[in-house]
Amino acid sequence: MVVDELLTDEGTPRPAAAALWELLEQLGPDEIEARQQATELDILTMGITFTVYSDGENIDRAWPFDVVPRIIPGDEWNRVQLGLHQRLRAVNMFIDDLYNDQRIIEAGVFPAELLEDSVNFRPECVGARPKFGVWAHISGSDLVRDDDGTFYVLEDNLRVPSGVSYVLENRAVTKRAFPELFGQSQIRPVDSYTDELNKVLSSLAPDGVDEPTIVVLTPGIFNSAYFEHSFLAERMGAELVEGGDLVVGDDDCVYMHTVEGRERVHVVYRRIDDLFLDPEVFRPDSLLGVAGLMRAWKAGNVGIANAPGVGVADDKCVYAWIPDIIRFYLGEEPKIANVPTYRCMYEDEREYVLAHLDELVMKPANESGGYGITIGSQATEEELTACADAILADPRNWVAQPIIDLSTVPTLIDGELVFRHVDLRPFILTGQHSYVTAGGLTRVALTEGSLIVNSSQGGGSKDTWIVDSPGGWHATPGVMSQSQSESQPSVGFDQGGVA
Amino acid sequence: MALLSRNADRIYWAARYLERAEDTARLVQEFGELFDDMPSDDPNENAFRWNPLLAVVGDRTFLETQASERDVVMALVCDPESTSSVAGCVARARANLRTTREVLPREAWHTVNDLSMFVAADAARAENRRFRGRLLGRVANDSRRLDGILNSSMSRDAAWQMWRMGRYLERADMTTRVVGVRAAVLMAQAAQPAAQGDALRYDEVQWMGVLRSLSALQMYQRSTRGAIEASSVVRFLLFDSDFPRSVRFCLDEIDRSLDQLTRADSVRASVAEARDALISTMATTTDGADLDQAMDWVQSLIGRVNGAIADRYLIIAAD
Repeated sequence: MVVDELLTDEGTPRPAAAALWELLEQLGPDEIEARQQATELDILTMGITFTVYSDGENIDRAWPFDVVPRIIPGDEWNRVQLGLHQRLRAVNMFIDDLYNDQRIIEAGVFPAELLEDSVNFRPECVGARPKFGVWAHISGSDLVRDDDGTFYVLEDNLRVPSGVSYVLENRAVTKRAFPELFGQSQIRPVDSYTDELNKVLSSLAPDGVDEPTIVVLTPGIFNSAYFEHSFLAERMGAELVEGGDLVVGDDDCVYMHTVEGRERVHVVYRRIDDLFLDPEVFRPDSLLGVAGLMRAWKAGNVGIANAPGVGVADDKCVYAWIPDIIRFYLGEEPKIANVPTYRCMYEDEREYVLAHLDELVMKPANESGGYGITIGSQATEEELTACADAILADPRNWVAQPIIDLSTVPTLIDGELVFRHVDLRPFILTGQHSYVTAGGLTRVALTEGSLIVNSSQGGGSKDTWIVDSPGGWHATPGVMSQSQSESQPSVGFDQGGVA
Repeated sequence: MALLSRNADRIYWAARYLERAEDTARLVQEFGELFDDMPSDDPNENAFRWNPLLAVVGDRTFLETQASERDVVMALVCDPESTSSVAGCVARARANLRTTREVLPREAWHTVNDLSMFVAADAARAENRRFRGRLLGRVANDSRRLDGILNSSMSRDAAWQMWRMGRYLERADMTTRVVGVRAAVLMAQAAQPAAQGDALRYDEVQWMGVLRSLSALQMYQRSTRGAIEASSVVRFLLFDSDFPRSVRFCLDEIDRSLDQLTRADSVRASVAEARDALISTMATTTDGADLDQAMDWVQSLIGRVNGAIADRYLIIAAD
């Protein structure tokens, strides 16, 4: 049983979606399709792309976008925001603790052996004290709405989460597609993100620097998120640099090569992984990073966001402990829940997982982008056996979760509005203060019944509207009469079903 | 904020490629129209009339080869790999600007991106005369539109100066090439006594074509108020201090950009050398060999200006 974000189970629009739905009915399928095509043209002209690696080639593809927005009522979003603030506060305290006093291990709340196993723990960062005790300045937690109508955190992306540029660009093209609605509805703007990011990054500059020079460090044009790196630099008035543009001097300060000679850099927003950051410390063969960057960071001469080593809190095993982490550091109950997670390192939980493989999603701890995941209900007998073997071979590396019936949003496919599953990635900035985007990136699985929303695997995206209107989501979230096993019906409009 | 050397390099080259695309587009278009005015029954002449265009962007050996209209259009318009074709230059301008989006105004990127998509999709159709006109016209128009966008919305920072220097250097280079090849063609015709009468008959039309291909006809006529005549055309294209495509003007503009940049001495010296060389060609006659040689010389000095700009601003010095 699946919940739809725009429609109740009676097929009527939810209060926050009423204005949109009325307009869609008025426009009819041909005009909706025309507006979809206009946005696709905008996306091409504006050069909004992402790069996929396929057949040994990097291909720059137009960003896949569906014109029908996803709508979340403002009061509900306020609660989600509070939960995300809380979550990231605790996660940052956790990381700072792991690299310093390790109180949480001493207290027996977080198992020492998990830390020993972690491939993302960087001994090079032990003893580091980044400003404000914050390591994950920019994070993107993936949220899903289950059939009970509640938002859950599915995973925390703390290393180099991407997608926020598409939040802003999706809004830009959607404003052109539905100008009728933006004038009259209370849709929260998303544009301030880059300003807020600029503020957080500026605050990481070494003390005494008033107008810091900020750079965005990219691996280069072949990276899947290059568009975003360029976009963020542009919007912040920062410089987009590659490793070769930077040098660390004998004074342990970071400089960039300019036409005026070397110019000091105060903050690096790095979009490359830890292991490539500094060949002096990590992978010596890395050409993407800057030799000496870690030296400069530890000496306090440069701010790095996110801090090196931040990934220790970003694996699917640590995820299972986040509720305990929130309780331990803040003495509060989590305001936004985890998806129930079975930890295969514990015998009883592992036995349960092995006995219920076909009902669960099995995830290896250190993969991202949806890779390595086995969805029990869709796997063959052989795949399930292989998965069980992998779990038994390395139980600490595996967690399992019940299959979430992701909510849907009506989506234009072949000229018809049909239900497609979505998730949501809000972006959270943490510095001295914290900030959560109004909404975030809604990703949509374009294949019927599919739960895989990753753009690298054929997912699309939608604009996300946080709408402040009386009425909210729905007093009791309705459950749609559609089921995943059945072929999904197309969306009928109120009167006569024009779709 | 100072300009990254890498960005300086990409902006400078984007400007050069875009100017080259625009100039080549105009060259192909104007010469195509010129030939329409010069009907010929002689298949031998027809076979050789297009190849001077190859010589403009390549080297003089092309004057000896046979090239059909189709060959020339393929090489100068359609070939996506070549650094001297319209399609290749537009694609390279886009690739360079794609990596400097934070430096230039947004609309500038949109314009080049849009043009690039159009050219990449449709350049192959340029064999068709009518479509070719549309394609080449759009390239020239968008290139100028981009100048307008930058002119009205870009700060006069180092990036702007790099853009200007790339534009003017490429333009100076193209003007000397067009003049030089025209001179070489004159020589070739002089060596064919039989054809001499015809060649002279069309001399004025030919020089008109040169002026048109450099967008210079109207300003030339306003400035000289006289008939189209070889030596005054050459003087106008090389030395006129007011016409923005003359070699002299381009060198002066590069100097003006250098005024706004730091530690420009080495580049300034190379510009002065090129200007001195240019002025010393003023006594050159226009009957072929002399002019051809003089243009070669000026071109090599423009190449040295390019080298000096690269050494000073575009290349990251080893530590």
